[in-house]
Amino acid sequence: MGYTIPIGPYHPSLEEPVYAKLYTEGEIIKDADVYIGYNHRGVEKLATEKNFIQTLALVERVCGICSHSHPFAYCLAIENIAGMEVPKRGQYIRVITAELERLHSHFLWLGVAAHIIGFDSVFMFAFNAREKVMDALEILSGNRVNYGMNIIGGVRRDIDTGKKEAINKAIDDLWDANDSLKNIFLKDKTAAMRTKGIGIIKKEDALKLGIVGPHMRASGIEYDVRVNDAYSCYEDFDFNISTYPEGDVFSRIVVRILENYESIKIIRQALEKLPEGSINLGIKIPKVPAGEFVSRVEAPRGQVVYYVVTDGGPKNYRVSIHVPTFRNAASVPFMLKGNSVADASLIIACIDPCFSCLDR
Amino acid sequence: MHKADFTEITKDKILDIASEKNRSGCPIVVIAGYIDTEGRPVVSYSYDVMGQIETYKCIDEKVLPSITKVYGTAAEWFEEEISELMGVEFEGLDSKKRLFLPEEFDGTGQILVSPLSKLKKN
Repeated sequence: MGYTIPIGPYHPSLEEPVYAKLYTEGEIIKDADVYIGYNHRGVEKLATEKNFIQTLALVERVCGICSHSHPFAYCLAIENIAGMEVPKRGQYIRVITAELERLHSHFLWLGVAAHIIGFDSVFMFAFNAREKVMDALEILSGNRVNYGMNIIGGVRRDIDTGKKEAINKAIDDLWDANDSLKNIFLKDKTAAMRTKGIGIIKKEDALKLGIVGPHMRASGIEYDVRVNDAYSCYEDFDFNISTYPEGDVFSRIVVRILENYESIKIIRQALEKLPEGSINLGIKIPKVPAGEFVSRVEAPRGQVVYYVVTDGGPKNYRVSIHVPTFRNAASVPFMLKGNSVADASLIIACIDPCFSCLDR
Repeated sequence: MHKADFTEITKDKILDIASEKNRSGCPIVVIAGYIDTEGRPVVSYSYDVMGQIETYKCIDEKVLPSITKVYGTAAEWFEEEISELMGVEFEGLDSKKRLFLPEEFDGTGQILVSPLSKLKKN
């Protein structure tokens, strides 16, 4: 017997609004639709009313977790239009913040995944690790969520020896925490039963669906903006693109755990090689000529793309923001098909969605 | 980091370029749109060509061919978004439902759950 089961729009698997309609036959999902648009805040329109400095504060609030990636991508666009060259030390500090943000996001998602499969002790363990990342971000920027690090032409805050030692200590602890999470997820039978063979996207389907980030890399595609279109100073660091071939929820867990190690490696290298010099260009009110640029950064969930158009005036003419969830959410109906209703919330959550970002 | 690379094209070139990029294995980065200072719709297609972003802009066209037949789902939501928010129609776009806007929205006025005119003071 077939049923249409509505999930959401409030709290379908995480505290963000999305509505999924599942068309089922017995326990099995035969088809699904995903509805978005419940959290529109008019950020793109607001950005055309603001000057370049005000826009930084605005785009930082598109997402609470990727709050460094958004101003980072926006700054790259404006700096490219204006022909600015950010000092190397500023670029390194941007990368350190971006990688701490990735750790923050991945530990949070690993905790959420554990919570959904009913493994709450791992949820608490992952969130404890996430607290350590937030402590490190607080040491670095003075803030735990919206870091306020980016300005046009560099960053706001420098890293001194004390901060360097504290961040190094924090990432050493995080390496151990990641080891523990890896052991649990790879060896625990219950975790494997709930995640292996669920929500599969094979490599060829991933290409057709246009998914991005760890979600794509978990389908065996070796693509990362940090490597394929290295921005800022990512070419200075030695790190690997983490992939896993199976394309199921388990693969997405493995890829994120592996990416945590790579992020820690990048932070260690950046702290060790941190160049001397200024951290920004000292520009208070940037003069930006008319122009346009498509910038992108590899945010924790995938590539964030900013299409910025300026007209030579003090404000943006157009800021078009496209976040990874915009690409990945379109793959949810495909992943749901053929799976059981009990796995629906885990499948929706496995893209690490951010529907507030998506609606922006 | 890639350099800015923008090319203006006519709408008859859109499908040819999309097919060529897809054959070469170039993923689509973004399809974005805006209304320019002269009130004309601008739709831009950005592709990742070996790490370099190539952007093709089509200006002042209200009807464009859909590239979903080439790029599939990867291009679908981009086109639906532009269609809903800018009123540009995509020929061949198989859209069953609205993406962002409520189904009952007729394209005029504001979208309010509780219209201000119906709010009463106690």
